[in-house]
Amino acid sequence: MMRQMEVENVTKAYPRSNEHLVALKDITFTVHKGEFVCIIGPSGCGKSTLLKIIAGLDKPSSGKIRFEGELVTEPHPKISMVFQSFALFPWRTILQNVEYGLEIRGVPKQQRRNIAQEFIELVGLKGYDNLYPKQLSGGMKQRVGFARALAIDPEIVLMDEAFSAIDEFTAETLREEVAEIHGETEKTFLLVTHNLPEAIELADRIVVLSARPGRVKSVVEVSLGRPRDKTGSEFIHIHKNLFHLLKEELENSIIRHKIKELREFQKLHDMEPK
Amino acid sequence: MVGFFIAWEGVSRAQLIPSEKMPAFSTVIATLTVCASNWEFIYRVLQSFFNLTLGIFLALFIAMPLALCAGLRNKFDVTFTPIIMIVGALPDLAILPVLVIWFGPGNMAAIVMASVCAFFPVYFTVREGTKDIPHDYFNVATVFRSGKIDTFKKVVFPSIFPYMVTGLRLSFDFVWEVILAIEIIARVTGIGTFIDASVNQGTIEYAFAGIMAVGAIALSVDRVAFGLLEGRIRRWKE
Repeated sequence: MMRQMEVENVTKAYPRSNEHLVALKDITFTVHKGEFVCIIGPSGCGKSTLLKIIAGLDKPSSGKIRFEGELVTEPHPKISMVFQSFALFPWRTILQNVEYGLEIRGVPKQQRRNIAQEFIELVGLKGYDNLYPKQLSGGMKQRVGFARALAIDPEIVLMDEAFSAIDEFTAETLREEVAEIHGETEKTFLLVTHNLPEAIELADRIVVLSARPGRVKSVVEVSLGRPRDKTGSEFIHIHKNLFHLLKEELENSIIRHKIKELREFQKLHDMEPK
Repeated sequence: MVGFFIAWEGVSRAQLIPSEKMPAFSTVIATLTVCASNWEFIYRVLQSFFNLTLGIFLALFIAMPLALCAGLRNKFDVTFTPIIMIVGALPDLAILPVLVIWFGPGNMAAIVMASVCAFFPVYFTVREGTKDIPHDYFNVATVFRSGKIDTFKKVVFPSIFPYMVTGLRLSFDFVWEVILAIEIIARVTGIGTFIDASVNQGTIEYAFAGIMAVGAIALSVDRVAFGLLEGRIRRWKE
C-alpha cells in the first residue's frame, strides 16, 4: 500500500500567560491511499484541531504533515473537507453550493454545472438543485456537504464529526452510503468522531488519542468484511477494546486533575504563615 | 387607515378643531393634487429626495469598510467602536448646526447631515452582521482555497447583505423623520422647508399636503424598494 499522508510529530500548544496549554503532543501516524481512517479520543483531546492542521486551517507548533511526500503548509487542492455544522452557504441553492469549490477553481459554468449535478445525483438529491439549504433536513444538508467536498475530485476527504449533528437514523443511512462511496472510489477518508460504533463500522484503522495533551495511544486495525454487521461478535469485541482504552484515558485524566488539585492545595498550604 | 381618514374628515367638518389648525382631509387631498402639478413643489420634493438618498449612500460608503473592519478585527473593534458609540450618543440634531459652520448652508450641508444621521444604523447593523458570520464559512472558503477577494465577494458580502438592508432601511426611515430639522438648519429649499414656510404663512393645508407627500414617499420606498430586497432575502434566510 502506498503511503499517501504522513503526520510527523505534530504538536500543538497554545501560548498562555503562565503555562502552555498543550493540545496535541507528538502525533505520528501514516495514512495509505484508499484507506478509511477514524480518529477517536475523549472530548478535548484535540482531535478536531488535528484535522484542522491536516486541512491546512491551523498550523502545528512543531511537526509536519506530508501529502504524497510534499509538505502541507496550506490547504491542499487534493484535500477536501466535510463539516459538522454542514457550513452550507444559505444564500446559495443546492446546485450553487455544490459548485462552490469548482467556481473558486475557475471551472467554466456549464462544466461545473454538469459536475455538480452528477454529485448531487450521487448523494441522492436529484431534483433538489434549486432549493435553498433552509428547505432541507439536517441529513440532506450533510449530503450536500459531501457532494460539495467530492465535486472537486479530492484524493482525501476529511470529515469533522460529520454525522454527529444529524439524527441517528438518518446518520446510519448516510454512513452506509459513505462506506459505499469509499468502496467504489479510490479516495481516502479521514473521520474524526467520538462515536465508537461509527468508527468501527467505517474504519480500516482507528487512531485512538489520549486525553489532553492528545497523543497517539493506540492504533487499532479493523479487518472486518464490509458491509459490517454491528451485532457480530468481532464488532462487539473491538467495541469493548476501544471502550476500555477510552475509559482508561478518562480515568487517567481525572486522576491527573486530582493530583494537580492536590498540588495546588499543597502550595497554598505552604504559603500560609507558620 | 381608511377609518382614520374618515374620522379625520368628520372631526374637521364638525369644527371640533378649527380648520386653520387642522384642515379637513378632503381639503388636504385637493391641495396635494394642486401641488402635484406645480413644478416648484415637485422640484422641492425631488431636491429633498436627492439630498437624503445621496446622504444615505455617503454614509454607506463610509460605514461599510469601518463596520467590516470592526466585525472582522477584534482589536480595531475594541479601539474604534467605543468612539463611535460616544459620538452616536450625542444628539444627532445638535451636531447639525456645527456642520453648517463647516460646510456652509446649502445642499452639501444637508447631504452631510443626512449621512451623519444614517451612519450609525448602518455601522452597527453591518458590524453585528460581520460578527455573526459563522467561522466555518471562512473554513469552507479556506479549504477550497478561495482568495481574499473571492472570500469577500462570495462569503462576507452575501452574509452581511441582509444586515446592510436592515441598516439602510432604519437609516432611510430615520433620515426622513428628521428632514424638517435638516433642511431648516441647512437652509435648503426642499420639502421640509416648504412645510415650515407653509406653517409660518398660515397656509396650513399646504403644510399638511407636504407632510402627506413626505409620508407617501417614505412609505412607498420602504415598501417597494426594501420590500423587494427583503423578499429576496426571505427566500433563503431561515
